[in-house]
Amino acid sequence: MSHHYIQFTDVHYSYPGGYEALSGVSFRITHGEKVALLGLNGAGKSTLLLHTNGLLLPSKGEVNVGDVPVRKKTLPLVRQTVGMVFQNADDQLFMPTVADDVAFGPRNMGLPSDEVDRRVRRALEAVGASELAARPSFGLSGGQKRAVAIATVLSMEPDILVMDEPTANLDCAARRRLIELLSGFGHTMLVATHDLDMALELCPRAILLSRGRVAADGPTGALLADHQLLRSAGMEL
Amino acid sequence: MSLQSALITLNSLESRRSALRIDSRFQITVTVVYLVAMLSVPLADPGRLVWMAVYPIVMAEASGTGYGRVSLKSLWILPLVVLVGAFNPLLDHSPAWRIGPVTVSMGWVTFLSICLRGLLAMQAVLVLIYSTGFYAICVALGRMGLPSVLTTQLLMVYRYISVLLQEAISMDRARAARGYGRRSYPLRLWATMVGQLLMRSVERSQRIHRAMLARGFNGSMPASTVMRSRGADWCYLLLWTAVCAVLRFVDFSAILGKLL
Amino acid sequence: MHMADALVSPPVAAVAGAVAVSLLIVATRKVARSKRTDIIPMMGVMGAFVFAAQMINFSIPGTGSSGHIIGGILLAAFLGPWAAYLTLCSVLMIQCLVFADGGLMALGCNMINMAAMSTLVAYPLIYRPLVNYPASAARLVTVTVLASVAGLELGALLVSAETEASGITALPLSRFLLFMLPIHLLIGICEGIATGLVLAFVQRYNASLLTGATVGWGAMPGSRRRRRRVMWIFGIAALVLAAVFTWVASASPDGLEWSIEKVAGVAELAPAKVPSTAFMPDYGSHFAGIVGGVLVMAMLWAITTVIFRLRRLHHKYNE
Repeated sequence: MSHHYIQFTDVHYSYPGGYEALSGVSFRITHGEKVALLGLNGAGKSTLLLHTNGLLLPSKGEVNVGDVPVRKKTLPLVRQTVGMVFQNADDQLFMPTVADDVAFGPRNMGLPSDEVDRRVRRALEAVGASELAARPSFGLSGGQKRAVAIATVLSMEPDILVMDEPTANLDCAARRRLIELLSGFGHTMLVATHDLDMALELCPRAILLSRGRVAADGPTGALLADHQLLRSAGMEL
Repeated sequence: MSLQSALITLNSLESRRSALRIDSRFQITVTVVYLVAMLSVPLADPGRLVWMAVYPIVMAEASGTGYGRVSLKSLWILPLVVLVGAFNPLLDHSPAWRIGPVTVSMGWVTFLSICLRGLLAMQAVLVLIYSTGFYAICVALGRMGLPSVLTTQLLMVYRYISVLLQEAISMDRARAARGYGRRSYPLRLWATMVGQLLMRSVERSQRIHRAMLARGFNGSMPASTVMRSRGADWCYLLLWTAVCAVLRFVDFSAILGKLL
Repeated sequence: MHMADALVSPPVAAVAGAVAVSLLIVATRKVARSKRTDIIPMMGVMGAFVFAAQMINFSIPGTGSSGHIIGGILLAAFLGPWAAYLTLCSVLMIQCLVFADGGLMALGCNMINMAAMSTLVAYPLIYRPLVNYPASAARLVTVTVLASVAGLELGALLVSAETEASGITALPLSRFLLFMLPIHLLIGICEGIATGLVLAFVQRYNASLLTGATVGWGAMPGSRRRRRRVMWIFGIAALVLAAVFTWVASASPDGLEWSIEKVAGVAELAPAKVPSTAFMPDYGSHFAGIVGGVLVMAMLWAITTVIFRLRRLHHKYNE
């Protein structure tokens, strides 16, 4: 299944104010790889993630998801292939109940209602949140919210999962459960995080971003052991 | 209402489950029928209004809320209603009732009516709130033909009220920690805080928009669950419509008065 | 300013409801047609924001009391009039159906008085023509005060008219207005200053928000100057009218009462207040009937409590 890869080719992006957040980013993540995206605040991690599913389009360069270039026209296809989990679960859970939220994506895809129900059940099962289905989103704990946010994306059955700070604001137990959950997934994964322990445990490969460029790309363990590199990226432990 | 108490009300409502299994569309309809019947009773006739309490009493108990709580909560409406009604005893001195040696002016009779209307209307709405969730009401309104833009809007506002209340509460705490006991804000500080809350809200809405787009949102909200009405719902509607009609047109107070 | 159910009669509620709902339908069409997908979450969050902001009190200088905003002009400045109307209406519906604040029958009245007057009348006629971003803080505050006062006074006028048309109060309309209008003038000034300061704050930090997301009547079409002059004339005319109206109301209340009854047919809506005959029956027995009614209701309460509690216990036991 060769189409589960993401390729960035010399991607530049400037915000409307003129600030250049990405200045020539290139990398390729192949099928089934779990990759951590590291870097300080403002290094361009979130901007980069928004490019993976076309929420931002590059000012220069190209993003490919599988064989499909990310363009205005290909957005529906790209967004089914790449599931994006945002940092703040409250922003991702905008529907009244958990089940409605998980069904939002499949319903937008125009699936028949029995297929939607099946996907909702499977997605909630996958994150261990089946019993939450009828609950309103705002009564959930942080860990539950995160799990449900992941389910809202899984229900679209994406091949690639992109996550922004999945362990932020979670307590130790919820964080542990999340890491175990994620390591059980077979998806291609790109995870932006400040949680270096999780990066080390979950992702064999890491990309270090610094001032909108790829500063390093390699095995997570080696990358985190390279003090000189980390110091130059301002990330000394 | 303070920020904190609003949040508590919101959370307590969501965790409550009604003992009643009636389609919300029918509950809304019955509430409206009841309100029309009750509010159309002439002000000069508080005798009929007393009997109108049948509906809130029965429904409060049937839904497991308890009429005690509902009637207590309905007292909140009195100040507002009294404010408007209080002019009647002052202005309308025409005699209305002679009870033995005492003559009661029309002003007092209508004042009594206004208070009763206030309490009963409030109780009817409270019964509706306690016996169906807001979510169910929105779905029902959608099924009754309200445009989906509006029902979506209602649900979204409802969804984010708790988030924004929480945000406002934490901003308020940060201020209170440095506020030296002042309870309300001087205007300038207020504007800064509300302005900040507003800008955060706009940013939040942009993030939500992204999350929606990422899951295939194209401007129209997907249709939600289907509701089916059952025979029981129709019985419920017919029964209460009949009761309301009887209470409206038969003056039980007069009948009982003659019997006594 | 929330109207309670007790203060409206069914015919008034029906008329107001019909008007409010038609405006809502227009608003949903405008929003749906705008093709801006971001307006949906924006309206949702801004509604929640206004709900929370209404609960944050500011102190009113020199009085020792505090107030809060309703937020019509503020919403309209960010969303445009129609989306703002829709948003404010949804806030009112939630206040009614979740917090029992403002009645269900009175909902239509409240939507018109509190939402439509500020977002659909005061905003497009006063705020929009007079503000050109970037505007100075002083200008913003001046214009929001004008717009808020206009919106609230119109609302107060309607509250009085609706209560009067419902035949609830014995207070003549003119006196009711003398009581309502000055209060809402003060409220409007406070709301206006507060709104203006918030807008000035936002403009200082992120001006693009103010010019961004509005739907309908957001940008003024060309020949701005001419349009503006028209608006000034309109505004002055409204002020003069209001002054004349207040003067007439205070000078000859009965005359005004009479003319309004004649125009609106109010007298027919109101139930007869005075018994037509001089002969008055003894209401003693009727009164006893009412007391009896209260007792019957108390018994009903006791009985239903027992029945339903037993039934629930029974259910629990069976499970």
